Amino acid sequence: MARGREWIGFAVFAVLLTAFPLVAPESIVDIGVYALIYGIAALGLSLLMGLAGQVNLGQAAFFAIGAYTQGMLVTRYGVALPVAAVAAVAFAMLAALLVGLPLLRLRGHYLALATLGLGIIVTVAATESDYLGATSGIYGIAKPEFGGRRYDSAAEFFWLLAPVMFLAVLFARNVVAGRIGRALGAINDSEVAAECLGADTFRLRLQVFVLSAGYGGLAGVAYVHWIGVVNPNAANFPLSVEFLLMAVLGGLGSVWGAVIGAVAVEFLDEGLRDVIPRLIPHASGEVQLIGFGVALTAVVLFVPGGLYDLWRRAVTRLRRRSATPAAPSGSTVDTTDETPVLSRPDRPAPGTTLLSVEGLVRHFGGVTALDGVSFDVRAGEIFGLIGPNGAGKTTCFNIVSGVLAPSGGSVRLRGTRIDGRKPHVSARARATRTFQNLQIFGSTTVRGNVAVGRHLRGRAGLLRAALVLPARAEERAIARSVDEILALVGIADAADRPAADLSFGRQRLVEIARALALEPDLLLLDEPMAGLSGGERADLARLLRRLRAGGMAIVLVEHDVEAVLALADRVAVLDDGVLIALGRPDEVRHDPAVVAAYLGLDEDDEVDETADDPVVRAAVRELDGG
Amino acid sequence: MTDLGQLLLAGLSVGGVYALVAMGFAAIYAVSGVLNLTQGEFAALAGLVAISASGNGFPLPLAALLGIVTVVVLALAIQRLIIAPVRRMTTLLSIILTLGVSTALKATMLLIWGPEGRGLDPLPGNDFTAAGVAVRSQYLWILGVSVVVAVAVSWFYERTLAGKALRACAEQPVAARLAGISVARASLVSFGIAGLLGGIAGVLASPVYFSAWDSGLALGLKGFVAATLGGLTSIRGAFMGGLVLGVVESLVAGYIDTGLRDAVAFVVLIVVLVARPDGVLRRQVAARV
Amino acid sequence: MLDVAGLSAGYDTLPVLHGIDLGVAAGELVAVIGANGAGKTTLLRAASGLIRPTAGTVRVDGRDVTGQPAERIAAAGLAHVPENRLVFPSLTVADNLALGGWTRRSARAGLAATRASVLDLFPRLTSRLGQAAGTLSGGEQQMVVIGRGLMAGPKVLVLDEPSVGLAPRLVGEIFAALGRLRTEQGLGILLVEQNARAAFRVADRVAVMDRGRVVTTGTPAELALDDRVQHAYLGGGYQA
Repeated sequence: MARGREWIGFAVFAVLLTAFPLVAPESIVDIGVYALIYGIAALGLSLLMGLAGQVNLGQAAFFAIGAYTQGMLVTRYGVALPVAAVAAVAFAMLAALLVGLPLLRLRGHYLALATLGLGIIVTVAATESDYLGATSGIYGIAKPEFGGRRYDSAAEFFWLLAPVMFLAVLFARNVVAGRIGRALGAINDSEVAAECLGADTFRLRLQVFVLSAGYGGLAGVAYVHWIGVVNPNAANFPLSVEFLLMAVLGGLGSVWGAVIGAVAVEFLDEGLRDVIPRLIPHASGEVQLIGFGVALTAVVLFVPGGLYDLWRRAVTRLRRRSATPAAPSGSTVDTTDETPVLSRPDRPAPGTTLLSVEGLVRHFGGVTALDGVSFDVRAGEIFGLIGPNGAGKTTCFNIVSGVLAPSGGSVRLRGTRIDGRKPHVSARARATRTFQNLQIFGSTTVRGNVAVGRHLRGRAGLLRAALVLPARAEERAIARSVDEILALVGIADAADRPAADLSFGRQRLVEIARALALEPDLLLLDEPMAGLSGGERADLARLLRRLRAGGMAIVLVEHDVEAVLALADRVAVLDDGVLIALGRPDEVRHDPAVVAAYLGLDEDDEVDETADDPVVRAAVRELDGG
Repeated sequence: MTDLGQLLLAGLSVGGVYALVAMGFAAIYAVSGVLNLTQGEFAALAGLVAISASGNGFPLPLAALLGIVTVVVLALAIQRLIIAPVRRMTTLLSIILTLGVSTALKATMLLIWGPEGRGLDPLPGNDFTAAGVAVRSQYLWILGVSVVVAVAVSWFYERTLAGKALRACAEQPVAARLAGISVARASLVSFGIAGLLGGIAGVLASPVYFSAWDSGLALGLKGFVAATLGGLTSIRGAFMGGLVLGVVESLVAGYIDTGLRDAVAFVVLIVVLVARPDGVLRRQVAARV
Repeated sequence: MLDVAGLSAGYDTLPVLHGIDLGVAAGELVAVIGANGAGKTTLLRAASGLIRPTAGTVRVDGRDVTGQPAERIAAAGLAHVPENRLVFPSLTVADNLALGGWTRRSARAGLAATRASVLDLFPRLTSRLGQAAGTLSGGEQQMVVIGRGLMAGPKVLVLDEPSVGLAPRLVGEIFAALGRLRTEQGLGILLVEQNARAAFRVADRVAVMDRGRVVTTGTPAELALDDRVQHAYLGGGYQA
């Protein structure tokens, strides 16, 4: 059980922290103190980079903000250490909130460079501000004093900081392993899929950004009480690079990795400062940077997952040798069961309009992909959307599912407009989708994928993650629902396998299970049949019928015309961005406009069995079902 | 008024340097989506190599050439050894990678040349005064050469088949490959161009702004800001962005506070990113490079 | 001119092609039809080197080019006109054509002659030479892209759904041009199309693909009455 192994890890960590100052010589403990201080900042950075996939090249800015605030409050205003610490961390987090609000809407590399600029702005502001002590900064900050005891030796400071580090790691671990971490992991794998399952990408990323800044600020607080002084150099760029190296070396997103990375980099730093002046006599200044630069490049090129990834792969290789071969996977679904499934008491009655699309228009540059498309989808029906290549089906589908904004027209889910709004809004309104180009969350198991679908059914946020117990009940409930859905869809046997290892057809089923975990009232399926074998298609069709019987509305976009005509209650046919037919399958099948669209005929060609063209004759015959 | 004239001229001069660095950013990013954070170090290194060569008796033009060639070779090596082998390159990844390289480069320059900044011998020419504005001949050199280089680069991208092939790779890499154009080689060439631009910037800037092991950081970042002003994929936009940034910086330093000079670029960056991420100065037609 | 034997290819977890055998002789126009998802585009991509085949061989004019990158296969004489009409939008029509001749860029005279023949084939383009390709209509862009492919002086031309989104009259013009190329220049042409009717009119042979395999080949007349064509073409993937 993963939890069990975790506790061992934490216990070992606690023992190491306690024993270290006892066994190591003073100079080494000194390095250890720096490792702890910087490690807290690196931990925050690793969380941000690993969980949110965002790079912060200015972690030192938040470090400096925390340090300066603490220094100011303690020396100028005589505030008690713990109170000042809380204020300093809060201030760093506030700064991150202000910076993150506008910037996190941008693509990742813009954020990275903006944060780099932030570091420089903080340095300049600190240098120019007399209030902050200009170039001399703030000095005279006393070592911590609790209960009459001064913690001024390296060992004492280390022991003082150790519980802080321990709790920081524990908290980070809970965030990573909990609902927020799961959602962020999903966003990293496929932002669009996570959004469609209800993850508010922006808000989640902002939360982690602020949290990561808080860690930076906390590290700054510790720093200022150890060194006793803070000056504009605290926000300097090489320090941000050092944090980056710690996070990358340890393994992004890995809590333990950040700790290991911090220790490794501090020892590397010390070693280089020792060795280089001996090799190159006149070397002075920040020469250890050469080691940092080489290390950073080398790690990214050769060991991109960091030390933690190496460790994990070694462990997996050992486990695989001793593991029993997996039983051949197969569907566990009863192939004759047609009972209704996944009905909800709150669901609108069958026949009620759930989705209302009106006058949808979409331009791409000079091309009009959709030109005034309107239709309704009702609860308890399967609605097919078909049309030849380039007809606009995908564009229409993407607009309806919130992935694309229309140029005109509206999309309403039970009366609420969702066009132009982010997909998680639709998800909250109980509408979700699957993807033609599979958007599996490759970094987790099948179970993990489906659990993301339960995101909106849980409420545990960052605060709850800090306290493990309350979220436990919610996690257990989620696990139960996940198991039920897996069994329903027929992939329960693959529950704990990495989702990326499954065959294409089974990955399709994982996506569908994931979407069903949301308990949607409206399910949008993008070419679900593509790539499935005949048997798999029949199973899926049966599942869809059962879902319909339970009152769900299902929209199918498909190229497999026969499948749609056999399954759907109503079918809409698009051609060239316009709706050319809408009705029951047997009506659509005989519609001359539909036949013409698929065969690429001129408008004035005759379309019947007596036509000259053998292709047309045969095609018409086929569509007739003859 | 003379103050304004003075500041404008100084701003255009430093802007010319920024412009060259910025064009280097755009050249690489447009073709391969790589953000090359060593761009600033190219300039610093070229300056330092030229200074050493000149100090060892090489005549000025040769020393400058040596500096530029060194940097071009370095740029090609970086692309070959570090960028090209990475299978799935993302812009973010390229930032971290080139950050590592730039850090190592910086420290190497520190080890070789020490911490002090030095200046290359000034280019020939006399300072003079016109309309009350003291005109340093170096400023004219920088501005003049930047403009000439910008025109040459524009000519390359717009009049030669090779330049058009590079643009094609940036716009439609699939179609370019199907026409037999090697996108991988295009990336290599774009790095070479960026190295050339960075090297020229470094050699030009050295007499006035000095070269030091860490002068690449500020220069590189400001060059990036300038490129972003132009939309990151437009060479023309990068050039204009550089000049604009130089002038704004000069005006702020002159009229508000000299200490704020370095912060200007980043405030500008953040404002631009928030208001118009696609760049302020790019032309409406989606023409890249 | 183009010989594909036992070709298998796919993407990541999804194998798409399962052992395709197909040949196009000089002066022959072969059409490949089938429903979406049948693997038609994947076939062209595997042949032209955009993706690496997992099995089988590709020969252009007798030379084995299997597994080579797209740039090399283009130089070997295979011109792939991709779907979605990928012109270089900010470059002029003339530039687009010039870049098409990249692999022959030192042969000035030959290039000039080829360009003249391209403009003879697509007279509409003559008045558009100085215009940015991104501003042209869909049909004109399709002509540019085909012309660009021809500038390399290829032995085999493969086209991916050139008729998509085009008015029938333009489709007729383009397909007539293809017919001319086949007859006058002895080019081997492989045409992937969803527009079966237009394809049938111009093809010498037709291959029908369904879910990654060629299920049948024959002349248009032979295939018009074949059941498998209708199934593959309009879909109907159910195994009964």
